[in-house]
Amino acid sequence: MSQIMENPKGGCVLAGINSVLGAIDKVCPIYHSGPGCCMQTTAADQGQSGHKSSCFVSSVSLPSSNMLEKEVVFGGLNKLRTTIQGAVDIIDADAYFVLTGCTAGIIGDDIVSVTTEFQEKGVPVYPIETPGFAGDSNLGYETVWNTFIDQVIEKDVPKDDKLVNIFGIVPYHDPFWSGALEEIDRILSRLGLKVNTFFTKGQGIETIRKCSGAALNIIINPWLFKGPSEKFEEKFGVPSIRIPGLFVGATDTTKFVRSVAEALKLDPKLVESVIESEEHYVYNYLAQSIGVLSWKRFAVVADANNAVGFTRYLANDYSFTPVLVIVSEPIFRPEDKERIIKQIEDLEYARPPKVLFLTDQFEINKAIREEEEEITLLIGSSNEREIAIEKDIQFILGAFPMSERLIFNRTYAGYRGSLTFTEDIYDNN
Amino acid sequence: MANVTYSGVRESKPGRINDLGSTGKEVSENFKKGCLKRADRSFAQGLQCQQINSMAALMSLEDSVFISHSPQGCVGCSIMAVDMYRVGQIHRGVRNVKNPRLIVTNIDQKSVVFGGEKKLRDSVQKAVERYSPKLIFVYASCASGIIGDDIDAICADLQSEYPDQIIVPIHCEGFKSKVCASGFDAAFISINKYILKKQKVPKEEGLINLFAPTTVSYADQKEMERMISLLGAKVNYIPFYSSLEKIKKIPAAQASTSICKVFADEFMKTLEEDYDIPYSHTVMPIGIRNTDKWYRGIAKVIGKEKEVEEIIAREHERIEPLVKKIRDRLQGKRVFICGGTGRSFAAAALIDDFGMELVGLETPTYDDDAQVDIEYLNNIHKDFVVDIANMQPFEQVNLVNRLKPDAFIGVPEWAAKLGVPTTHVLDGKRPTMGYDGLLFLGNKIADQLENPGFNKKLAAHVKLPYKDSWYEENPFKYITEGGN
Repeated sequence: MSQIMENPKGGCVLAGINSVLGAIDKVCPIYHSGPGCCMQTTAADQGQSGHKSSCFVSSVSLPSSNMLEKEVVFGGLNKLRTTIQGAVDIIDADAYFVLTGCTAGIIGDDIVSVTTEFQEKGVPVYPIETPGFAGDSNLGYETVWNTFIDQVIEKDVPKDDKLVNIFGIVPYHDPFWSGALEEIDRILSRLGLKVNTFFTKGQGIETIRKCSGAALNIIINPWLFKGPSEKFEEKFGVPSIRIPGLFVGATDTTKFVRSVAEALKLDPKLVESVIESEEHYVYNYLAQSIGVLSWKRFAVVADANNAVGFTRYLANDYSFTPVLVIVSEPIFRPEDKERIIKQIEDLEYARPPKVLFLTDQFEINKAIREEEEEITLLIGSSNEREIAIEKDIQFILGAFPMSERLIFNRTYAGYRGSLTFTEDIYDNN
Repeated sequence: MANVTYSGVRESKPGRINDLGSTGKEVSENFKKGCLKRADRSFAQGLQCQQINSMAALMSLEDSVFISHSPQGCVGCSIMAVDMYRVGQIHRGVRNVKNPRLIVTNIDQKSVVFGGEKKLRDSVQKAVERYSPKLIFVYASCASGIIGDDIDAICADLQSEYPDQIIVPIHCEGFKSKVCASGFDAAFISINKYILKKQKVPKEEGLINLFAPTTVSYADQKEMERMISLLGAKVNYIPFYSSLEKIKKIPAAQASTSICKVFADEFMKTLEEDYDIPYSHTVMPIGIRNTDKWYRGIAKVIGKEKEVEEIIAREHERIEPLVKKIRDRLQGKRVFICGGTGRSFAAAALIDDFGMELVGLETPTYDDDAQVDIEYLNNIHKDFVVDIANMQPFEQVNLVNRLKPDAFIGVPEWAAKLGVPTTHVLDGKRPTMGYDGLLFLGNKIADQLENPGFNKKLAAHVKLPYKDSWYEENPFKYITEGGN
């Protein structure tokens, strides 16, 4: 299924799994893999995401069986067993997950037999039998949640009608994930909700175990998490709503707030007062810089979530002209592509841009190079800087992979993030 | 000479050890007696695989496409080489900064069952159609090796199909070696086999091959070139920021040397055997003692022993008063060092320039080359701990916590969280080498160690992932004899 790709954005499924686990407090991945996979997979996602990486264990601090020729020939289960034992002895984690590298996957090591030995002794060690070659890092996000649903999340947790789970914002695959989750948390907290972001506020494995007590799963992504959300509802009875793209700016964020309010039947008076004060906050600033940004004809190259958010904000809220939007992550289901296209094309006043699905850097560059309409602003990843320089277009580094800026809690999402986005686009030239 | 062909895997050399906990005195005596035994770790943290090094070594070459015959994750670390390439272009004044052309074949479930040959063929075809490059490098991976794709045969076949390109397969399968520097050797073996082909070319008087890995900054390149030009010689700077033309020039050189101890060291032996090019293999030119040694090494090979002494005397006169100022600030500080082979030993020599004391040294591998350095260090320092480890931060934090050094030189991530002042001799974007680099580096080290506020405050707020009990244990408890 995986395509040949020039300058791919992100790593294999193992990279995705590692990134998601690394964003959860005190969770320790254990690699049953070749000697370089820890470094390679961490570099592939965390290492290209604004220079922030898991503070607990990452890269060369990840426990690893480092499978060499001997393990390739004779199997690596003994090595895995002593590696898990060592990790459990010295690393102060609340849960351990054994990841399967290509080597272990191809030679067919039965990792479950080893993790079961530890589970029988009461040690929280969980197997994830999805080898690196099974797909890209987006699949890793779904793989982790499927693992949690199958093995970690508890049934019969008391329901809390104010508790919501946030899905769809993939740690490190979105360089602004921390800030985006914090903004979402801030907004929903104002509505009186308790929010499981899972990856901020020091939330850990205990939050995940008990997340079946939520009243609603909120998927903020136009395509990810279809399978896990269905399984989640089937097993734990928690319904889902899908917000078909990350919201940037007042219009879409308010739409998001209303969707959540409707699903949870929140007090309309409270909801409207929150919307009013948030929108006032945004427009109070926008009103202080009218006409300061020169008008742009823009192109976006980003993952689907951010491509939707950036395009809709700049077109609907900021009255820029969308020309070309390239969704640069591999998306296979036609229904997903249709949902994404609809979000990008269904604009309030602006003429819809051209929408392309391209993952290969040569093809992305070619599409931008050969675009007949003029582009004066390009929002993309570090990989697109080359074509922006070539065409002499103003360039905003706003998508993964991102090497030339440091990102802690910055976000372009939500009410407040849209102001940051607008600040970054300002250009005095 | 009837040599056995070197496989490129560093473990194939006798006497090499990758897993050991010891001291400077003990390890050097045991090595002399031939008592060091190959070992393993029953628990370990991740390593750097050799494919990372094979890719990084070449990814700044012009007119090249790099094909990783692997799943998508195996090009993760190429981002470091990509970044060095981009930043390096900026430092060299290039305005239209380019990405390296990197294609991953994306071996998937189907390839695992049916083989990945078609994906590799299609990738090469794309490379030719898109860029018509002079060079196409094809990197093996654990997956391509285990599923048994014969990249040599496929590349040979593709070579006849695309006669205008040079197609170079590189055997850097990760599972073959624990020593990531093996990946450098794998790359050079293929360069010799597919590009140079043992063909003799006319010699260029005064031309010196200067082998540089990806971690060398442009400032350091200029300093090395300045030093060599003072000897009246000219530099062929390879393979970093070079080209097919420069690689083809390798056999024309009068002599070779390298900036890093484990970069092209094996290849320079091959160049002597195949093309009669003498070489100097000494140390990394970081610090006064090492820079002198490196400089004298290459000068000797080209018969400039007298000239180099004059230049060294001049350079010393220029920088020694400045170095003394730095020494006054650093004298007597106890230091723990962790780094790759080249930089760890270079740092150990450097701290002597500044009158600092070595208490612990972490370096990836031990062999006859390391023995030379350890014997030198044993003459200067009282006994110090030696941890033969490719990183292994769990051992490092145990040792650092135990030894309580005044300073840590190396990747700062873990020692910083223990509140220890940290600094580094590795900087691929700024000066570290030669006489000029020494001053920048020395001032950086002195400034960083004098002002450890960040680490101290960080340590008060952030905990490393290890249990408290680990710090009480023997740091080498997981090293077991008889391993890989």
